[in-house]
Order: sequence, then structure tokens, then C-alpha cells
Amino acid sequence: MRSSTASRRYLYTGGILLSIVLAFFILGLFWTPYGINETDAASKFLAPCAEHIFGTDNLGRDVFSRCLVAARYTLLVSFTGVAYALVIGTLAGLIAGYNGGIIDKIIMIFSNGIMCFPGILLALVAVAVFGPSLFNVIWALGLVFAPTFARVYRTSTIELLGRDYILQAKLMGIHPLRIMFVHILPNLMSQVLPAVIIGLANMTLFESGMSYLGLGVQPPAASYGKMLSDAQSYMVSAPWLIIFPTLMRVCYILGLYFISEWVRTSVKGGSK
Amino acid sequence: MSYKGHILEVKNLCLSLCNADGAPVRILNDLTFSVRSGEILGLIGDSGSGKTMTALAISGLLSDFAQADSGEIIFEGEDLVKKSPRERRRLLGEKIGVIFQDPSSALDPLQTVESNLSEIISLRSKNKEEGRERILRMLKTVGFENPEQIAKRYPHRLSGGQRQRVLIAGAALMNPSLLIADEPTSSLDTVTSMSIMQLLHEMCQEMGISILFISHNLNAVRNFCDRVMVMKEGAIIDSDTSWDIMGQPKSAFTAELLLKSKLDPKALGISRGVAQEDAPVVLSAEGISACYKNTFFKKAHTTPVISGISLEVKEGESVGLIGSSGCGKTTLVKTILGLIKPESGTITKSGKIAAVFQDPVSSLNPAHTVRWHLTEALEASGRKMSEDERKNYFLKILEDVGLSGKHLTRFPHQMSGGQRQKAAIAMCLVQEPSVIIADEPFSALDASSQASIIKLLSDINTKNGTTMLIVSHNLRVIKAMCSKVIVMDKGKIVEAGDTDTVLNDPKSDTTAALLKARMYEA
Repeated sequence: MRSSTASRRYLYTGGILLSIVLAFFILGLFWTPYGINETDAASKFLAPCAEHIFGTDNLGRDVFSRCLVAARYTLLVSFTGVAYALVIGTLAGLIAGYNGGIIDKIIMIFSNGIMCFPGILLALVAVAVFGPSLFNVIWALGLVFAPTFARVYRTSTIELLGRDYILQAKLMGIHPLRIMFVHILPNLMSQVLPAVIIGLANMTLFESGMSYLGLGVQPPAASYGKMLSDAQSYMVSAPWLIIFPTLMRVCYILGLYFISEWVRTSVKGGSK
Repeated sequence: MSYKGHILEVKNLCLSLCNADGAPVRILNDLTFSVRSGEILGLIGDSGSGKTMTALAISGLLSDFAQADSGEIIFEGEDLVKKSPRERRRLLGEKIGVIFQDPSSALDPLQTVESNLSEIISLRSKNKEEGRERILRMLKTVGFENPEQIAKRYPHRLSGGQRQRVLIAGAALMNPSLLIADEPTSSLDTVTSMSIMQLLHEMCQEMGISILFISHNLNAVRNFCDRVMVMKEGAIIDSDTSWDIMGQPKSAFTAELLLKSKLDPKALGISRGVAQEDAPVVLSAEGISACYKNTFFKKAHTTPVISGISLEVKEGESVGLIGSSGCGKTTLVKTILGLIKPESGTITKSGKIAAVFQDPVSSLNPAHTVRWHLTEALEASGRKMSEDERKNYFLKILEDVGLSGKHLTRFPHQMSGGQRQKAAIAMCLVQEPSVIIADEPFSALDASSQASIIKLLSDINTKNGTTMLIVSHNLRVIKAMCSKVIVMDKGKIVEAGDTDTVLNDPKSDTTAALLKARMYEA
């Protein structure tokens, strides 16, 4: 492990940014100062003050409470979506890379096919067909992200296939599935980790985009994308409605990028 | 001359390297030596003795983790340690040329030979035509008959030996006065090594270049170097003319190094595995040919890599397979092992075949411990054992191959090349094979590890009675270990039979060429 000052700086910056989001998430699980859908006609458009530190929106709902709860959905969608993509991508990539030939061709044509379309469009189509819900958003985004992981796994698998220890395993007559998952898979972790982190960040952006369009997390649940889309008419008169949800997302995504940068520079990428 | 005939003087050089925790570890200890103008100075020693570090320190290519603590490196009367990195870079290529070990990674694969080489010239002269002339002249000097064609080729279309020639051409392009060659031949086969060594020798004589030749190939050093220095733990412990060092080593360490590197069968106690008269045939191949398949859209190659190969191996015997690189030895081995499907012919095997491969870096899975590897091999062979039985069995196997119980929990990166190769052999033994096929099992190791692996394989053959098929460049080892030998050339068997008969009275040109190159092998 080689960790220079510069890469440690990445770790610290990313860590601080992410822990802000994490603190919001944990706090939001147990306590919010106000109910997230509690409206108060008397205190509409309050600028940040002592009672409402992030201010209130057009219905008098507390923005801080909504930010606390929205962190939950951002983390949920990004983590489950990436996990979903990772499982599909791993299976497809390993099988394609290990078997080669016609199986590889079919899987890769299919995954390249998915990659040809803009990801958000595919996800939108899926949600439009199956109806907008959190679950649909997750699997649709997972499917869109899977080819990225499949590619990473496939290339690295092909590279490892020529290694003597894999030849040795084949000679010993070990079952191909065992070779794939026990012999090859652990050696791919160093390539996959950065892909996972970047995937988390991209997934969040996609989710916000979809919520903004009204196809993601559905009301009454709060999500950053939804909060932005609700606030756009009041952008000039009540800028805090835009600023705080945006800041939260910036913290999360920037934090992830910094951490992935740290992984890239300090953890020895690839197997020698 | 102000530097009294010495082109390079290293005085009391101390060098430290930071380890993982950032603590400095002394690599070079009070190193003092000098290179005279126009001589070839050999530098030998075990791996990890600081040979490469010396080369890097002189050329100024040390990483940020290494620091020169004290001492001077005086090159042509100037102290290099005091110079700025910029000034040192300027010297590189112009006055000091460097050739590295691995020719496959030293050329940019996306550029032709010419553009690779012109990179060196472009920094110093703007005249393109003149630069091109110079490159072609230099390619001719390093022994290419058709420099125009070679200049247009991409590195992947050159063999290892050709690439090394191109690199030498690059290093000598600006007429440097010192050439540092760090194991320039260790990744090449003997016939190619010999021609590279001769080339370096000629360049030294004709162009008056002094060469610092780092190697653990003692025979090459003996035949080519004027003087030799022996290095141990970062210091020079012995230095004299090569004849004297090799003939009458002054220190015990040098004597031991020489003995080990000779791989003397008697000193190692190696004997040949001979099959009994009525021993059954355990492995036979009948007219097999094989080729590498091409891609989905392209038809397969029509020219096979190996063709019409027939061989027979009897139980308990040890057979050597030799031939220059690219003759199809590895393809044959892979076909026999079943990793490549033969185009035609049949392979009959009785019992299990295990294999030991060449590269100690990739012989073990980096994600798992030695215990995992052994368990995997045990389970693959279908035997069941209780936890205790298994542990004792593993300890016994490890002891047999010269490792100990503490290695069970080690990961491959925590072991040396020799130890890894031993662990790979242990894995083979766990499978209780009837035949072990070893593809160059020791060529990537240093002299002491080589000796122990050879001894180990020979013991497995003679004591356990396991049949061996050994692929090697090293004729001396083959001669010591094998009762039969098969010589291959261009995918065909050109000669086969009793080791003594074939090697003492070669019938084919291939065998004769291999025997001729022998004097330069380690």
C-alpha cells in the first residue's frame, strides 16, 4: 500500500464530505425536528432562521427535516442499484470472459446494445412502462449500469485466464463455476472497487434526474431530485429551497469521487 | 585524461530505500568501484544484493523512495550526485546508455521501431533526415540485415531477441561512453543470448564503449567480461579479472555462488530417472498437431504450431524436451495437458498429469494462501481427510519440497520466486500425479533457487518414482536429470533418443546449435 500526502488528502476530504451525508442519514432515521409533510400555512417561505435552520418551502414544510429524510432514499437507491448492477454485471462479465466464443459474443452484443442508448432514456422507458415507483427505479437503473461492470469483469477475466494458476486449476479438474468465483473473482476486486464508487455517484445523479422528472421517488416521500423540481418556480425568491438539497448531493457525489480517487492512487490497481 | 583512464568512479556510495512504513533500509553499503575506459565490467551476486540499485543510482533513475545518503559517483570527472535531475537526464542517452532486462515492455507498442528510436534523437538534433540515417546505420550495426524493414515494424512483430537488439541500438544511438546493461539476456533463450552478448562485445571494441554488465549468468560473465565484481548485501566483496575470479575465488561467498551457478549434478546429488525394461507407457502421443484458433469471424490458422509429433514416456523415466524459443515446446506441453485441443492425432495418458509452469509470479493465485492452494488441490483429487490428517499431510508435503509449516498461511506475494515455485510443486505432489510436466520450472529463478528446484524435481523423480517431462533451455540440467531427450525445431521433433547419444553425437543442426550456445548458459 502506497499512500502519499496527496492521496491521503483525497481520503480526508472525501471522508468529511461523505460523513456529512451519513450523519444526515443516521439522524433522519431517528429524529426530525418537524414531520416531513407537516405543513404550516403561517410559516411559508421562511428564510433560514433559528426554528427552521434550512428555511421552509411553499407549503411551510421544514427543509431541514426533508433533507434528513431524503438522504435515506439517496443512499438506498444508489447502494441497492449498484448492488443489483454488480450482481448482474459480475455474472455476465465472468461468464462471457471465461467461456469466450459464442457465449461471450451474445452477452457482449446484448450489453453493448444497452450501452448504445443513453442510460437515463432506458430507465425512463422502463419506469414509464412499469409505473413510477422506488422499486422500478432501482431495477431499471441497475440494468442500465450492469454493462459497465460486465465490461470491467470480462476484460480482467480474459487477462487472468492466461495466468498459470488458472491453467493449473483447470488441469486439476476444478469445476468452471468454482474457478470463476473462487479463483478469479477475488483477484478482480482492485479493478471493481473504483467502478463501484463511481457507479454510486452516477446512480445518485440518475436517481435525482428521474425524481426531478417525477418518475423516481414518489410523494409523499422526499428526495433531493423531487425537492429541486418542486422548488424551481421559487428559485429566485427562495433560493434556500434549491441550495440545501443541492449542497447535500454535491457533498455525496464529490465525496464519492474523492474516495475513488484515493482508491485509485493508493490501492495498487490491477494484479501484477 | 583527467579521470586517469577511469570513466566512472563510485566512491563510498550509501543508498537507502524507504520500506512500507517509511523507515529507511540500507540497500547499498559503502559501495566503491570504478569502470575503466573501454572495458566490460561484470557485476554478479544473488538476487536482492543491490545490483540493479547500483545501475539505477548511476543512471539517475532511482525512484522517489530511494535516497543517496553519502558518497560520490564521478563520471568523466564530474560528481553526478551533486547534479540536478535535469542535468542528469541530459547525460542519459547522450553519455550513459541503459539496457533493461525485459525487452517486451521497454518499447512503446503503438509506435514503430523507427519512431521509438527517433524519440531519443529528436531531443538532441532537429535534423530528421540525419536522424533517420543514424537509426538505420545503428540498426545495421546491431545486426539487422534489412534495417529499412525493421524500422517500419511495430514491436509486437519482433521476437524477444530482435527487441533487445533494437533497445541496444537505442542505447548506443548517441554514442554514449558508458553502457549499463542490467540482465540484458535473462529473458532470452541461449542461442539468442549468445548473439546479444557477442554484439555487446563488438560494440565495446569497435565503438570504444565501456560496459557495466549486470547478470547472474556467470558463464556469460566469464566469457565476455574483462573484470568481475561480486556483490553481497550492497557491498563489493570480491573483484578481480574474470579469469581469476572464476578460477580462484578469493572469498567463500564467491566460491559458493560459483558452485551453485554451475548446477553441478554431482554437487547437487542429482541422478537420472531411468525406466525399467518392462515399465508401462504412461504417456504417449501419436502424430499430434495443433494450432492456435483465431477469432470468431476469422478462419483458424492453417499453419500449425506443432505437427506430426509422436512421443512415448515410460513410467519412472525422466524425459527432457529442448529446442530454441518459438519451436513449439510450450504448445506441445499444453496440448498434452489438454489445454489446447489437437487438430489431429491422439494422446493417451494413464493416471493424473500435473504441471509446473515457468513463471513464479503467476504460478500461485495472489488472492489466496498456500494452505488454500493445497486444500484446493487435495479436494480436486477427490480425497477426503479430516482436519488433523490434512494438516499433518500438508506439513509433510511442505517439508518434502523444502518449505515449512509457517508458509501455510503465507500469501504468494510474501514469498520469494523460489519459494513460490516450491509451493507450486507441493500443489502438484498433493494431487499424487503419475506424470509431472515441468515447463521451464527454473529459468526465471536466481542461481541458488534454481539449484534447489532442480534437486527437488530430481528427487521426486528418482525417489517417488514420478515420471517427469522437463522442458528446459539448460542442457546441463537436462543432461544431469534426464535419461531421454527430445529435440524440437519449428514445431517438429528433429531428434530423440538416449540423452548421451543425442547430446554427444548430434545428428541435427538444431541440436548442434543448442550445444554450441551452451557455453553461455547459466
